[in-house]
Amino acid sequence: MRAHRRGALLVLLFTLWSVGVPRTFAATYYIIVAGLGGEPEYEQRFTASAKDAEKAFKGSADNAHTYLLTGNDATASRFKDALNTVAQSAKPEDDLVLLLIGHGSFDGAEYKFNLVGPDITGGEIAEMCNRISSRRQLIVDTSSASGGAVQVLERPGRAVVTSTKAGSEKNATVFARYWVQALQDPDADTDKSNSISGLEAFIYASKKTVAFYDSQKRLATEHAVFDDIGSGQPVREADGRQGALLASITLLRLDNNQRVVNDPAKRALFTKKEDLEQKIDSLKYQKAAMDPGDYKKKLTALLLDLAKVQQELDR
Amino acid sequence: MMLSAIASLLITTATAAAAVPADCWQMRKRGHETEARRCFNQLTQAGDEAVRAEGFWGLEQWDNANEQFRLAIRSADSEPTYKVRWGILLHERFNDREAVDLFREALAKDPSNVDAYVGLAIVSSDSFDGRASFYLGKALSLDPQRAETHELLANVALENDDRELAAAEADKAIALENDALDAMAVHAAVELINERSPDVWINKITAINPHYGEAYARIAHHLELHYRQQDAVTYYRKAIEAEPNFWVGHSALGIGLMRMGQQEEAQKELELSYSNSYRDAATVNSLRLLDSYKNYVTFRDDAMVLTLRKTEADLLRPYLQDEVGAILSVYNQKYAMKLPRPVQVEVYPDHEDFAVRTMGMPGLGALGVTFGEVVAMDSPSARRPGDFNWGATLWHEMSHVYVLTATKNHVPRWFTEGLAVHEEGERSPEWANRATPDVLIAIRDKKLLPVLRLDRGFVYPEYPSQVVVSYFQASGICDFIKSRWGEGKLLEMIHSYANLQTTQQVIEHDLGLNPEEFDRQFLIWIDKKYGFEASHFNEWQEQIKLLATASRDKQLDVVIRQGPAVLALYPEYVGEGSVYQLLAETFRAKADNKSEKEILAAYEKMGGQDPGMLKRLATLEDSTGDKTGSIETLKRVNYIYPVKDSDLHLELGDLLYEKKDYDHSVREYVAAVASNPVDKAGVEFRLAKAYLAAGHRSEAEDSVLAALEIAPGYVPAQKLLLELHQPPEK
Repeated sequence: MRAHRRGALLVLLFTLWSVGVPRTFAATYYIIVAGLGGEPEYEQRFTASAKDAEKAFKGSADNAHTYLLTGNDATASRFKDALNTVAQSAKPEDDLVLLLIGHGSFDGAEYKFNLVGPDITGGEIAEMCNRISSRRQLIVDTSSASGGAVQVLERPGRAVVTSTKAGSEKNATVFARYWVQALQDPDADTDKSNSISGLEAFIYASKKTVAFYDSQKRLATEHAVFDDIGSGQPVREADGRQGALLASITLLRLDNNQRVVNDPAKRALFTKKEDLEQKIDSLKYQKAAMDPGDYKKKLTALLLDLAKVQQELDR
Repeated sequence: MMLSAIASLLITTATAAAAVPADCWQMRKRGHETEARRCFNQLTQAGDEAVRAEGFWGLEQWDNANEQFRLAIRSADSEPTYKVRWGILLHERFNDREAVDLFREALAKDPSNVDAYVGLAIVSSDSFDGRASFYLGKALSLDPQRAETHELLANVALENDDRELAAAEADKAIALENDALDAMAVHAAVELINERSPDVWINKITAINPHYGEAYARIAHHLELHYRQQDAVTYYRKAIEAEPNFWVGHSALGIGLMRMGQQEEAQKELELSYSNSYRDAATVNSLRLLDSYKNYVTFRDDAMVLTLRKTEADLLRPYLQDEVGAILSVYNQKYAMKLPRPVQVEVYPDHEDFAVRTMGMPGLGALGVTFGEVVAMDSPSARRPGDFNWGATLWHEMSHVYVLTATKNHVPRWFTEGLAVHEEGERSPEWANRATPDVLIAIRDKKLLPVLRLDRGFVYPEYPSQVVVSYFQASGICDFIKSRWGEGKLLEMIHSYANLQTTQQVIEHDLGLNPEEFDRQFLIWIDKKYGFEASHFNEWQEQIKLLATASRDKQLDVVIRQGPAVLALYPEYVGEGSVYQLLAETFRAKADNKSEKEILAAYEKMGGQDPGMLKRLATLEDSTGDKTGSIETLKRVNYIYPVKDSDLHLELGDLLYEKKDYDHSVREYVAAVASNPVDKAGVEFRLAKAYLAAGHRSEAEDSVLAALEIAPGYVPAQKLLLELHQPPEK
């Protein structure tokens, strides 16, 4: 699976992740934790969301390794065990996806994710993840006050998504619901690449969260952000600096295009497809400086070629 | 200018000064500006701070005047009149809050201070808070011989369209002071409103002071309140022609021009006013609004000029253009006329921008406002979902455009407002005016006004909800007339108003009743419709509280058992926490889709506007195969909250596509694209398919290219692109 494209500004950044021949898929390690609900309603909601996420991840690919902690299993020690296990197995080319669903707290200095028994701090989570050799990591903390964890969790090569922009947003969040929904809704695959990237899931969940507060006529008490360059300045949408890593992390695959990549009979066609896709990216990058008619003509030609190649691949 | 207050100020302060404030102000009032300035200049040299303040005030050195008044009142035994004068200065310099504080402080020291009551009345009158008459009554009881009090009473009476009282009070003022220029201006305004020449009064004014711009501005103000926007602009022009440095006049002219859609000249006038230190909220906010017009886009055709914020133009334009087109078609026939010029519709997503458009107008501005052929209204995005129906608002405002045009603006507020609300219900029964709790309370407590005094409920409400109640009553009167005499009678009444008949004459001649009998019959009609709900209102309040508690406690069977009886007490209540909502939630919790659908359908029919509840109804209708019902329900939601909801447009687009209504499905998919959906490529693809099905091949290709530009590997879109590029079959 090659990297996704996400608009002209990100094209050049993407190439860092998609240079040369299509890379074969590495494994992805998913750790999903449903923290302490405190009340039956939250307990139920967190567990259900975590199980839905696990189901989606498990069905995504043969090389998906999932670890799920819910209910009484969601303790700091079991959480650390899971992270240790992954640290022992994951290779640098494997991806790590950590999804935290539950309540969090932030006292102005330290973020804690609420678990059964002692809570775990943001610092502890970061330290455990640092031991995992995966070069590309994604931590999605959907808890209340999770914005307070960004600074301690971030580092180069790790994308951090939080459901709140700051530790001061302390109300229970709905972002997790829509993050998991992104894994189940084909509409989240906005570039129709048959996979859901971290950025696609983020955009989907953020928009749905905003719509939720609108429809409920409530003032939004959560504003999701991400940081994927370790800058300490999380953002609410991708820009020229942020978004490339998050876009390159494939959360979920919706079909078996891996097999196509590895089929020698179709390798040439796939290379041609790759070439056309890169030309389209390049053309889009030049759009602003081109005559609209000329742009349309060239884009149409490339898209027609690409469509024909895809037809061949699908035969 | 409160000369009496100034006179009393002088009794205590004039001894050391060669000039006295009252003389200086009198010189200015009579147009002797050079002498007045010399006089004011002299005052600034006086030993007394309050007199110096008057001098600086007259020279328009506001900060110095302010500072001198501050010094004048620092002593605990300073004259209360100083505070009153300072309060008037602050009022003139746009600080009503502190002005009112000063008037009250003066009254605390001297409860019989007439000037303080007059000051309070001036502030109240300007803000239309309904208390001006009270304060003037107090002032009159303390001193009936004060010309200024009668001038203000004349002014308030004319704002209430009580022309006879206005003229009578103006006469009293003139009898007390033969140079009561503002009273003469009221007389001139009455003449103009009655379509007579104001020349006699204008000549009297100019004989005293040919440069008294204030008189023309007062006339213009009353013309504005009588829907005569164009005439008002004419008189604001006369005001600044008579007195070129009359900056408040320049500002008012600017605002008037804005209302007429003449933005360029409006900007010049407002900037002139602003740069000469007249910077009240209306001037500043209007300039800000004009500046923000760069963020708007205007679409013109033969019938309409539509102005929308760029960010939502793609989404709203098709809906608004279609709706205005439909309205023009219906109203052209109904009112048997065509508008002489294209109607101008402005839609504001920021309610504050819209509020600026209505500034200084009483009883207006809730949702939309009409100035001649210009309609300004909130965008649905300016309001909370469910609070606002833009379609109903547009039909309402467009009715004003026709009625004002047909009557050449000679129509009382109650009639044009009542007819406009009546038209909402004519367009769609669900949009008909509902009796809110405030209305039921007013009916129960017999607070409806006689028809001859109904305008007062709009302009000077005596209780907080009276404007809402007056809208309801006015529309009820139109409904009553239709039911008793037929819809055609309303058109006859429009023509009678156009012929300058009064409400009394219209009711007597067109309806054949005297106003008292009309009121009696109307109240009988209202009682038949709402008597039960009004008399059981308290019981309903108690019962719905119990029902809400049962709902909160998940006593589902209790809600289902008792809900219908509570609903029967007040079926028109569709607001938050309605019985419809409680029952729907209960049926949903019990997975009783059939009952949930029925109660939601009843809610929809009764005019319920919560988009969430209506969308749920559409889902239930769809799931039971009632595609047409689902389409109609989603169309209703489109009139309520078409913004920030790409799913709504997609769902409706899909249903319409399924029904082979391709043109309308295109409109919905276009709206979905403009709503910035998560899956933009997917929506563009659906739009492409709809275009193709509707026979718009070129647009289909544009849309499929847009889809593939976002997602080049989108296989279904690729297939459609190939299909579009297949050579035609021979």
